[in-house]
Amino acid sequence: MTDHDQPTDWGSTLAFLTLRLWLGSRALLTGIEKFADTRTLTIPLLDADGNPDASGAMVEVQEKFYALSNYHAVPSSLADSLAREPLLPGFLVSPFYAILGWVLILVGLTLIIGVFNRISLAIMGGIYIALTAGLILIKQDGGVSWLAIHIGLIAAALVLSKYNRFSVTRS
Amino acid sequence: MNDPFDHLAAGLDRRRFLQLVSAAGLGLLSSGGLWGAEPSAQTPGSRTPSETFDIAIVGLGAQGRILLEAIQKIPTVRVVAICDIWEYSSTYVQRLLKKSDILVNVYEDHRTMLEKEKTLTAVIVATPDFWHAPVTNDCLSAGLHVYCEKMMSNTLEGARSMVAAMRKSGKLLQIGHQRRSNPRYIVARNRIVRGDAKALGRITAINGQWNRAAGTDFGWPAKATMKPDHLAKYGFKDMHQFRNWRWFKDLGGGPLSDLGAHQIDIYNWFLDAYPTRVMASGGADYYQNHEWFDNAMVIYEYQTADGPVRAFYQVQTTTSAGGGYFEQFMGIDGSLKMSENPKITALYHEAAGKSWDDLLRSNVVVANKAAPAPADTAKVDARETAALASYQIPVVMSKAIHQPHLENFFDSIRGRTKLTCPADEALRSEIAVFKAIEAVETKNPVICKPEDFIV
Repeated sequence: MTDHDQPTDWGSTLAFLTLRLWLGSRALLTGIEKFADTRTLTIPLLDADGNPDASGAMVEVQEKFYALSNYHAVPSSLADSLAREPLLPGFLVSPFYAILGWVLILVGLTLIIGVFNRISLAIMGGIYIALTAGLILIKQDGGVSWLAIHIGLIAAALVLSKYNRFSVTRS
Repeated sequence: MNDPFDHLAAGLDRRRFLQLVSAAGLGLLSSGGLWGAEPSAQTPGSRTPSETFDIAIVGLGAQGRILLEAIQKIPTVRVVAICDIWEYSSTYVQRLLKKSDILVNVYEDHRTMLEKEKTLTAVIVATPDFWHAPVTNDCLSAGLHVYCEKMMSNTLEGARSMVAAMRKSGKLLQIGHQRRSNPRYIVARNRIVRGDAKALGRITAINGQWNRAAGTDFGWPAKATMKPDHLAKYGFKDMHQFRNWRWFKDLGGGPLSDLGAHQIDIYNWFLDAYPTRVMASGGADYYQNHEWFDNAMVIYEYQTADGPVRAFYQVQTTTSAGGGYFEQFMGIDGSLKMSENPKITALYHEAAGKSWDDLLRSNVVVANKAAPAPADTAKVDARETAALASYQIPVVMSKAIHQPHLENFFDSIRGRTKLTCPADEALRSEIAVFKAIEAVETKNPVICKPEDFIV
């Protein structure tokens, strides 16, 4: 029987679409945030009319900004803990860190657009399994549980992927 | 009066030459002249008040040196003369300035200085308190603008004479309550406590303190001991009294004057009111060789436009307990713990207080990261108020603590702004300090009538 002959299960179709978009957004924004940092700007304090305050006071404000040079795969505190873990050798961890942000952005985009959905979900699952392994080793049980929820959603998306519609590719 | 440094006047031409050369170099760089920008108005050698001008410093003790340090960061004034009765101190400062290629004439007596220095526009006075009025009044009479450290005088009469001299001369007299020019304090007063925001709501209480650990009296190198007749000529009994004048009643005003005056001035300034009654207790409980009390606890009562305010102030010179120095304004919507030290400054919003969203949007305050909620077991009383949201004032104060106040003085001379602490305004505030001292000494409440603050 071809796909064309299958009856349309709109509930499952919408469930997959929802999961795909959610997981895609999650991956895309997580990847983008790895290029974010905050900087302190010194700017004039303004009065109610938007003019510089009569005191001439300057204020320090925090501004979030994005740049390639800001790239950080994981927070430094987490990276330090993982670096001390003997079962996570540097020759494996370093390449993983180097590609993590880019892969998440790519996977996020493909899921949102609807290109290579199954492969994208599988790659996303692989990333979260790898992160889970690291968190298990440094005993971050909260983080493991958090990632387990993601893994469950990815698995559900893979099960529902046969109801794939509204995609560029059917895979 | 003999001036042991008169011979330096012979070097005037060389000094002037070096100052002009260095000022010209600075002027060229700061005006952007090398790059063809508009020429600076600060032409070296010119003495019109709108441009670079000459100043002198009288009193080169700890406070005088702090002011000098701040002045050295202001390129639009030239220190051309210094004056101190202690040769040890004036020689030290003279050498210090020489390291920066600043050659100055040195004087022992300010009257000699006024006779000989004809290029001065202003004088900085940082002598012991009992010399403030004579020196300031002489400088004003000589047609000079004056920046005088607080307290204005160790006597109310002395302080009033300074206001009279200021008015008679038509010159400016700035008093060294430097918080009034501190941008952090100005924003706190005008954008948080007062103004349209009145973010703390009605202020009902104030708490402030300046507590210092016990210390030993200042000493002096034996070789630098001044002769008794020299000390007597300038009003000191001996070297110990000269070095520790703040503790003697004929010379200074004690810790309420020395430390408290700054903060009590902030009470009055932030409330825009003066006290109606003061109660106080204090005593010379620890130091045996001091005349002034070494601790005091004061309660002021104010009647403000918004209602009564009670204000506690304590100064302790035998313990640093209680978190240093601050003035905390407590209102129904929030509280502000203000200090010259930004690390001590803290701002809290009452849970039921009116919204501070406008302050946040306009960057007047920024939120601190939320403190973790206390464990239920930490709560000892059901009536305990929940932990308050904490904020900061993000105003940058990157200059030396006295620099903005000095800059305000110099810019006022140039006619670009108005003094933030003119003598008449300062005197009204300092009268509240005199009232507290009176309450300590008489051990009775002192009534402060509105006419007491007319100056």
